[in-house]
Amino acid sequence: MSNIIEVKNLSFAYSRQVVLKDLSFEINQGIFLAIAGPNGAGKTTLLNLLCGLLKRSAGTIKIDSLDIASYSTRKLARKIAVVRQEFVPVFDFTVEETVSMARTPYLGTFGFESQADRMLVKESLQLTDTERFADRPIGHLSGGERQRVFIARALAQDTPILLLDEPTSFLDIKHQVNIYDLLKSAQLEKGKTIIAVTHDLNLANQYCDDALLLGCDGSYVIGKTTEVFSADLIEKAFTIKTFAGLVGREKFFIPLGKFAKDRDAIKQNGG
Amino acid sequence: MTKMLTPKNLTIKIIISLLVLAAVMGICALAGSQKIDLQNVLAGPGATAGENTDFEIFIGVRVPRVILAALVGATLACSGCVLQALLRNPLADPYILGISSGAGLGVMAAVLSGITWTLWGCSSITIFAFTGAILTIWLVWLVAHLAGKSQTTVLLLAGVVVNAFFSAVIMFLTSIAKSEQVYSTIFWLMGNITEKDTSVLWASGIFCLAGSTGLFIISNRLNILTFGEEQAKTLGIDTAKTRFIAFGLAAFVTAVAVSLSGLIGFVGLIIPHAVRLLFGPDHRQLLPLSAIIGGAFLVVADTIARIVVAPAQLPVGVITAIAGGPLFLILLANKSSKVNWLK
Repeated sequence: MSNIIEVKNLSFAYSRQVVLKDLSFEINQGIFLAIAGPNGAGKTTLLNLLCGLLKRSAGTIKIDSLDIASYSTRKLARKIAVVRQEFVPVFDFTVEETVSMARTPYLGTFGFESQADRMLVKESLQLTDTERFADRPIGHLSGGERQRVFIARALAQDTPILLLDEPTSFLDIKHQVNIYDLLKSAQLEKGKTIIAVTHDLNLANQYCDDALLLGCDGSYVIGKTTEVFSADLIEKAFTIKTFAGLVGREKFFIPLGKFAKDRDAIKQNGG
Repeated sequence: MTKMLTPKNLTIKIIISLLVLAAVMGICALAGSQKIDLQNVLAGPGATAGENTDFEIFIGVRVPRVILAALVGATLACSGCVLQALLRNPLADPYILGISSGAGLGVMAAVLSGITWTLWGCSSITIFAFTGAILTIWLVWLVAHLAGKSQTTVLLLAGVVVNAFFSAVIMFLTSIAKSEQVYSTIFWLMGNITEKDTSVLWASGIFCLAGSTGLFIISNRLNILTFGEEQAKTLGIDTAKTRFIAFGLAAFVTAVAVSLSGLIGFVGLIIPHAVRLLFGPDHRQLLPLSAIIGGAFLVVADTIARIVVAPAQLPVGVITAIAGGPLFLILLANKSSKVNWLK
């Protein structure tokens, strides 16, 4: 397996406030990586750096062994697709129209989709089970349906890399699992490299191969999810008391707040 | 599956609406306070004993005026579409960034200074209006550019403030001007179509057509810009360039339209809105259809303005507002799924 993303000594600061400092890691092709960490640790900033929306202050980012700055906006959009948090557009574009926009980086002067573009759009709609409401405006869908539409759009963009910024943060557990199932099958069946910023450690633990844990103090750990998501490291990154347990082969975390019952009596048992 | 927009499908729709526009223009050119006989017109010059006055009026007066109305209507509707997309606000219109007050100020300056020369067939009012419009949009753009971040909000605010300020200056000038000077500007401020030189018609026609074609070429990019800057970029759109081109072209064609006909309200707001309600928000279709329907709408409005109090004429802006307002409210109330069959 080769590295599709290489980050070396990456730093970023918003005017004076340093957000990311001296970050280095590589991501293999076909990996599902979770980026976790407390608010303000720079997760979304890192995602925006990786998709070219922000310019790094120092260091290098290579996509497919080429420096990210050497890509045009159009070329980069053929490498990386991005799914954002909950979003409702101003105008009533239908599901199909929205997903079709994914083909923009491939279109000619007048911007009309070819037959092949249409097929790919249809396929993405089917994969995400959004075809049955293809002609509904996306504003009329539920949060879970809408997020699936945006994933369909990202799939139709036909990129090797998929970035997601808290794709499940507004969804109930059924729809959360639904989205992760969808992403996992895109990884396994299409060989996509998927990077998801998430606050859901338990789901990330189940689905992601690797994890990157960012701390507020500029520290970070990256590696196999099972190793990165340990009670020690999680407690250190989030600076709260946590219980890590095992059910079958799945690890889970429960945060223990000040008023948690039996807070002091609970002992770690496996994490 | 819905029927997605294809070039063929779109071409058919455009041709049908162009035919409707041509029919509307033909009928409106025949209507007027002076009765015209279609047979005399078709017979051509010299067909009747003496002068064929019906033909002269039709070709020399009515047709140029109908063409001008169609041109202005199409341009305003097209530019309204683009600004609604760029500002991501369905309530935007071509004047929202201060073009109207800038052009108005230009006209006040022309009238008060008493300059009456003409240039390439354009009156001083036309030229001052155009200059005022372009300078104002440049000023608003400059302010937004200096402010940098979240351009859309700054652009809107700058436009609103410049509009308010210039309107105040116009009011001030109106109150100190002589009454006969004020009278001529009031017609202009309300939007008024009058007969223009053929050369002016040709030149502005070419400008507006070129500008609108440019906007049509970037119409797919406008679709994606309505999803916001971030998403547009990750979908491969050079947002800064696209916004600059779109603003520039929309401002230019609006300035041309305004300098020809004054401040005709409502067309740039309701036509894109109505077309969007009927045909959906895809700008590849919305832009050309709005232009054609906007043209037809203004031709009809101008014909009414010509004949309703004949031999006097009303400013066409009064008609667009009186007819457009209720029409728009009806559309809005009926929005729902009832209009889905048109998609």
